[in-house]
Amino acid sequence: MSAFSRLMPDWFRRSIGARIVALSLLLLFAVQLASFSAISASLGAHARRVLPDELMVGEHVLNSLLDQNAQKLTDGARLLAADYGFRSAVQSNDDETIVSALDNHGARIGATEVALLGADFALRAATDDSARTLAPLAALLAPRAVNGGVASEIAMLGGKPHQIVLVPMKAPVVVGWVLMGFPLDTRLVTDMRNLSALNLTVLTRGSPSAPWSTALTSLPPALAAELAHETWNAQAGGDAAMRSVHLNGEEFGVHARWLTPAGNGQDASVLALVSLSIDEAVRTPRDLQIGLATITLLGLLAFMVGALFAARQVTTPLRELSAAADLLGAGDYDAPVHGMQRHDELGHLARAFDQMRSSVGDKQQQILQLAYWDSLTGLPNRVQFRDAVRDAIAQAKSTPAADGTAPTVAVVMLDLDRFKHVNDVLGYRVGDLLLGRVAERLSQQMVRGGDLVARLGGDEFAVLLRQGDAALAASVAQRIGAAFDEPLKLEEHTVDMGAGIGIACWPEHAVDADSLLSRAEVAMYAAKRRTEGPVMYDPSFDAASSQTLSLLTELRQAVEQNELRLYLQPKLMLHTGRVSGAETLVRWLHPTRGLVPPMSFIPFAEQTGFIRTLTMWVFEEAARHWLALQAEGIPMTLSVNLSTRDLLDPDLPIKFDALLVKHRVPAEAFCLEITESAIMDDPTRALATLNKLSELGFKLSIDDFGTGYSSLAYLKRLPVDELKIDKSFVMSMEKDLDDAKIVRSTIDLAHNLGLSVVAEGVENVKAWDMLRDLECDEAQGYHMGRPMPATDFHRWTTAWSTKQRTGPAAAASGFMLH
Amino acid sequence: MNLFQRIPAAVSLAALCAASAAHAGALTVNVVDAAGKPLLDAVALLEPASGKAAVKPMPDVEISQAKRQFQPRVTLITVGTRATFPNFDTVRHHVYSFSPAKTFELKLYAGVPNAPVTFDKPGVAVLGCNIHDTMAAWVVVSDTPWFARSAANGHARIEAVPPGNYRLRVWHPGLPVNTEPTPVAITIGAADLEQRAQLAVTALP
Repeated sequence: MSAFSRLMPDWFRRSIGARIVALSLLLLFAVQLASFSAISASLGAHARRVLPDELMVGEHVLNSLLDQNAQKLTDGARLLAADYGFRSAVQSNDDETIVSALDNHGARIGATEVALLGADFALRAATDDSARTLAPLAALLAPRAVNGGVASEIAMLGGKPHQIVLVPMKAPVVVGWVLMGFPLDTRLVTDMRNLSALNLTVLTRGSPSAPWSTALTSLPPALAAELAHETWNAQAGGDAAMRSVHLNGEEFGVHARWLTPAGNGQDASVLALVSLSIDEAVRTPRDLQIGLATITLLGLLAFMVGALFAARQVTTPLRELSAAADLLGAGDYDAPVHGMQRHDELGHLARAFDQMRSSVGDKQQQILQLAYWDSLTGLPNRVQFRDAVRDAIAQAKSTPAADGTAPTVAVVMLDLDRFKHVNDVLGYRVGDLLLGRVAERLSQQMVRGGDLVARLGGDEFAVLLRQGDAALAASVAQRIGAAFDEPLKLEEHTVDMGAGIGIACWPEHAVDADSLLSRAEVAMYAAKRRTEGPVMYDPSFDAASSQTLSLLTELRQAVEQNELRLYLQPKLMLHTGRVSGAETLVRWLHPTRGLVPPMSFIPFAEQTGFIRTLTMWVFEEAARHWLALQAEGIPMTLSVNLSTRDLLDPDLPIKFDALLVKHRVPAEAFCLEITESAIMDDPTRALATLNKLSELGFKLSIDDFGTGYSSLAYLKRLPVDELKIDKSFVMSMEKDLDDAKIVRSTIDLAHNLGLSVVAEGVENVKAWDMLRDLECDEAQGYHMGRPMPATDFHRWTTAWSTKQRTGPAAAASGFMLH
Repeated sequence: MNLFQRIPAAVSLAALCAASAAHAGALTVNVVDAAGKPLLDAVALLEPASGKAAVKPMPDVEISQAKRQFQPRVTLITVGTRATFPNFDTVRHHVYSFSPAKTFELKLYAGVPNAPVTFDKPGVAVLGCNIHDTMAAWVVVSDTPWFARSAANGHARIEAVPPGNYRLRVWHPGLPVNTEPTPVAITIGAADLEQRAQLAVTALP
């Protein structure tokens, strides 16, 4: 099939129409060919069937011709015989006169031989010698002639076939006989041919052993000669209807008729052969051939027109559909498809296609929606916003302002504070609700047409101020900040919202849309760090920004190249003032930037998971220092902070245990501090880790207690030993009675649960005293000691202990040693 | 052409009996055809076995033509007798004879031709009309005085025949042209004789 199709011309393979037309024509041609063959075969068979009959008819025609001839000759001879002058001459008894009369009168009617016989058939006179041989024939013919009938025979006279007639001569009774011979001439064969369309050949031979020779024929001489070469014998039971003879490669049907009767007393024979070309007879008649060919031709034409029309019925709608598909491909979903009103398959296809068009169009719309719009808030998304910024810049570039000052584009970008916290605590549904309300608020602030509010993702929003300069942007940012001052009511919750707002302007801060967005983002992060209102981009932020980008690499280097430092902040027993332990903190001593504040890399480390490496580093350093302190006779518990990621690492207890073994440190030497929120991220896994750590013998502590939302019931199930009250409560409890109450009840609660309590953020002696009165167990804060390098801590501890021994009260009263 | 000597016998005559008489006798010949039926217009002649009998011409006979027929069909006359051919028809006739006994023709005429025709040789003359092929008549010219023509009963009676030996010849128009049965020898006595003659005639021509 493939080989077949390769043979097809290109237009044929490409066009259904051409194939339909070609197939129709081929089929029609095949049908015509078949019918032509059938007709030919049928005609041929019919012709063969009727051939013998035709030849028999031919014989009848021949007989009839001979009879007519005989009748005509007889009539002529009779007339002649009755002619008075002829009779007179014949009765003259003068032989010369008689012969000349026979000659003369015979010539009148075309007889070549004339003989006069007596009433007794004795030859009396003849025109020539051959006529004399006729006497025996006369006897044969006489019985027929006597009764007035036609007496005629064929006989050879002078080597030529003649038709012989015998008529009586009456005067007035029969007084004699006149025998006349007429040569068979070509009129016979032409008449035969004209009457029957058959060929007649007359063969003669002088004796039964002599070869046949052709006397007369309507066949071409060559064929007649071949016919004469055939063997023709008189048959006893009459002549066969037809004999098939091949002449010169052509088949002929031949019917033989002996013209000379057997026993006519002559040796010579005359044979008539009626012949007909079988090949020609079975051949379909030319006019029929022409007729069929014409019908075929007309049929082919009609079919071609019809098939073209039919093909067009199919291909035109198909082409329209194809054009419609091209339109779809080009993105035009609006033009309806043609041909939907049709009731046939193509109509069905068109309708299906149109349905597809509209559904693809809808999908396209949805995709565009998803691509360019934020589904949650209905605001444009980052992609659209970026495009809009780009357009705005392009437009600003092309339209200089009328007053000569260059047009500017400003972007205000903001990131919600504590949004993750809202999500964590109130659930994602409320979080989503919050985002929606923020979007509403932002949109309300935008009164200038053409300005665009977008949600860039997560809790990040941005505002595009087309033709907005720095001053305008600052005022907008201020307005937005003010809008966030009012708490949001979400169902039964009231949420205080804040946002870091950054501003950047084109062309002042950036050269293109992407850098403008990036600068606005940098400004926004700066604002978040400062937490004091909107921040306009400043080139100096860039260093910090790029610092963040390479932070991870640098942090790794920090670990490897010992840039990290362990800091310790002492924890003291409130009642005795003795140093009971210390909280370990990590500091980064950057070779060029100096001491990097924890806030600059800890959140980042938490985000990236690098915090786990830091935790392990801190733990190992803590173990080392613990051993060192131990060696110096300063026994204490060292607290290590665990992040959420640490808690979610199921291998953490194993890793810690390995380090304990490595450094030969007991687990009891450590207190592991975990924030409430760290536990609440995945309580089940956190609890599992905590249980394992507890089993290993680690002391566990809840850090920043009071800021989270952990339930007491849950707290009860945790294997913790200690609570650390958040410093915000401690620092304000002197002035705020409520906070004091919280501190007190927390202490009571912890004690009731059998936990020890640590207060953070103790910054003065008053707090120390209050806490001591509230029977808080331990305290930590600047009042006693800031976080300090481990080496300093040894010194500090030694000094503190000495002081305590000399004057514990002084120490307890807050005479700090720094 | 001698009619009586040339023709081979085609008929057989059975001589019944021969009676001799001192004076003239009569012979009755019963002529029948091949089927045995009596033949009309048959002619019987008696020729003397030796010598010749003298005959005298008879008075003129009339062979008329009426209704396109010759009347009579057969006329029996002696040599030298003349015949007239009155035409009673309204059409003309052209009477002819090619017979050797008497060849003549009376070209188209109406009424009675001027000259009668003299039959001066013995034999049979067949008369025809060149206009009307169906017309035929026979004139038998005898050179003997003893002859008779048969009536419808087939009887031809020859009277007053002197006794002696004779040849009996019988002829009929129905016989093939120029044929005649072989004459039969017969002796005439005083008594009447009867002779049966069967001719190879099937029907009148």
